[in-house]
Amino acid sequence: MAMKRIKHSAVCADNSFTTQSQSSAAWRMLLFFAALMVLLALSMLLGPSGIGIPDLESPSGSAILSLRFSRLLMGMMTGAALSASGVVFQALLRNPLAEPYVLGVSGGAGLGATLTILAGTGVVASFSLPVVAFLSAVVTLMLVYGIASQGSTGQPSVYSLILSGVIVSSICSSIIMFLVSTASVEGMHNVIWWMLGSLQPVSAGQQLLSAALLFGALAGIWLLSPRLNALALGREMAHYQGLHADLVIVIGLLFATLLAAIAVSLSGMIGFVGLIVPHVMRAIFGPDHRKLVPLAALGGGVFLVVCDAVARTLLAPVEIPVGVVTALAGGPFFLIILQRRMKQAWIA
Amino acid sequence: MMQHDAMTFRNVSAGYKQRKVLDNVSFSVREGEFVSLIGPNGCGKSTLLKTAAALLKPLSGKVELFGQDVQHIKPATRASLLGVVPQKIESPMAFTVDQIVMNGRISSMGRWGTPSSIDHDLVERSMIYTDVLDLRERFFTELSGGEQQRVALAMVLAQDPKIIMLDESISHLDINHRQEVLQILMNLNREKQMTILLVSHDLTLSAGISDRFLLMEAGTLVKAGTPVEVLEPEVLSRVYNCDLHVQQDPYTGYLQVTGAIDSLRRRQKLNRSVHVIAGGGSGIELYRRLLIEGYEVTSGVLNRLDSDAEAARALNIPVVLEQPFSPVGSDAIAQALKMVGDADAVILSQVPFGSGNLVNLTLAEAALNRGKPVFLADGIATRDYTEGKAALAFSTRLMQSGANAWHSMSELMTHLQQHQER
Repeated sequence: MAMKRIKHSAVCADNSFTTQSQSSAAWRMLLFFAALMVLLALSMLLGPSGIGIPDLESPSGSAILSLRFSRLLMGMMTGAALSASGVVFQALLRNPLAEPYVLGVSGGAGLGATLTILAGTGVVASFSLPVVAFLSAVVTLMLVYGIASQGSTGQPSVYSLILSGVIVSSICSSIIMFLVSTASVEGMHNVIWWMLGSLQPVSAGQQLLSAALLFGALAGIWLLSPRLNALALGREMAHYQGLHADLVIVIGLLFATLLAAIAVSLSGMIGFVGLIVPHVMRAIFGPDHRKLVPLAALGGGVFLVVCDAVARTLLAPVEIPVGVVTALAGGPFFLIILQRRMKQAWIA
Repeated sequence: MMQHDAMTFRNVSAGYKQRKVLDNVSFSVREGEFVSLIGPNGCGKSTLLKTAAALLKPLSGKVELFGQDVQHIKPATRASLLGVVPQKIESPMAFTVDQIVMNGRISSMGRWGTPSSIDHDLVERSMIYTDVLDLRERFFTELSGGEQQRVALAMVLAQDPKIIMLDESISHLDINHRQEVLQILMNLNREKQMTILLVSHDLTLSAGISDRFLLMEAGTLVKAGTPVEVLEPEVLSRVYNCDLHVQQDPYTGYLQVTGAIDSLRRRQKLNRSVHVIAGGGSGIELYRRLLIEGYEVTSGVLNRLDSDAEAARALNIPVVLEQPFSPVGSDAIAQALKMVGDADAVILSQVPFGSGNLVNLTLAEAALNRGKPVFLADGIATRDYTEGKAALAFSTRLMQSGANAWHSMSELMTHLQQHQER
């Protein structure tokens, strides 16, 4: 007992939080960044035109490289947006199943985007796409939240949120189907290709706008991240600890919705990233959101870039929809990680 | 020194959309007090706590913390005044104990959420106080219930609040863990003058440590005062809707609240009565067991103030009494004989015999003569303090006339049952 006391006071005096597990965490981080760099470099070498650096002397070679680079940027943005959005939804709803698709947010954004694609022409459409997607996603979220809140306490339970999210999501996709089936051949083609999900670079203007929104939303979420830690213990506990809990939840949901809308407007419906990348990152680096938010954004981006490189190379010149690769490649990987490290990720 | 009111409810009504839970509640808790909030399930204790912490807005009236309306206090300031330990904390994600406790500092950290050295200090100090420092790197979710509750307390302590409210946080803990947490609370109260409001279901335990009780019933405050003032059997029995007894421990003065003994008669009544010859505490367990099995029990002759006599009185068992420290007289024996006549069987406990109570054995003899089964606890020889071993001789004679010997309680119950079935 006496020994224990001495140990305590020593720790208290020098205030050191350095521990064994922290240094191993640092190594893990280093390894992770190294792997990211290697993967990004690799994805620059993969493409339907062949493996390796194309001949930069020829105009087609440099065009290929710049195309690969812009797809890399598209992938980074979309993946980061989806993954960070998933992190926030999972934290705020305290549920491992939460992600933009489950809550109907992606469905709503998709519906808005479909309408824009079918109606719009040229430059106006490409600028308004992210905005319309965001607005329709917010409306969807409010609808889902409103339906789910019909309880005695006025606070939606997680189950009712997810249930109404799934329902609203399927309503949205039926409307998209209906619109597609009544559209002109060209419109139908555009929408279906977009829905399959693809990292074909969008216009430079839209890319810039999306990048600006993306960085804004990521920064906002990163500022919220310590509060997300507190909210993981529930709304009431966060309130007791002196947070404007409801405000944090609303702001968090709006940022997460914006991220999902950015992703949808950039590359269509790409599933799975928002669900699995947060889980994998949490399993590797723990649930502290101050680290998790940036790491998940990076991880999600690189994951999508790699999946896209595989998608465009594997059956070249045919391009597999990238959503197929994320699910096929990511699924088993996800299962392995979860089985081995579930304890550190999420307590089921 | 303790002039300030830490928390004041002024005519507070509160509740949810369609349901009013608190009805015009007024009370105040002074700084440095240890107050227990008691009342049956669903009487509004949790709602009261939520209203006090501004999680619920009162429908009317107002709640003040140190004189300020809680609805107008900034959340971060509120957290530095008032901490709430909920019934149970659930962390869906695998946070370490360190990370969980650091949440207590969340509202004091800056915009960037980077803990300062003050934050680290407070976190460590509260972990030391609740003795969870060794658990700091463990996952919160893999801790035992008691450890989790101590971590939760550490987290709330890290807020450095002046008042701590606990919402049945200890009710579901093992007795040892409950004791640990209570000890910590007592220390906080005594050493740091922390004001504590504890929602409690263990009236006895709370009575031992609280300065004051608040008793609630159906959303109203029925009574407030010292444990002795509030723990009145009539009031408690009405509020909790069952018979409750309050006894003061003769040695420590602690109040003990227990369910009425009638509720011990759990089984169906057997419509059979048993007369027990006991004394010196040898009958207490026997009475209890027989009542549970459903027998009607009578007993005697006992001396007044004998612990068996006290037990019989508490258990509402009809009993024949003799003056303290006096030999059993003939009047008493005559009364006891009447009881034996009404009984279906007679049991002799492991009572020691001396010249004063030797006459009780004639009760057993009388029962045998009337053809009633008699059960004698074996080993009388070791408890025989009569001159010339008269009790041993008497009991040997009884055994020869058909009395049965019993050794253990379960054996006795089996014997009784067999006789009943015949």
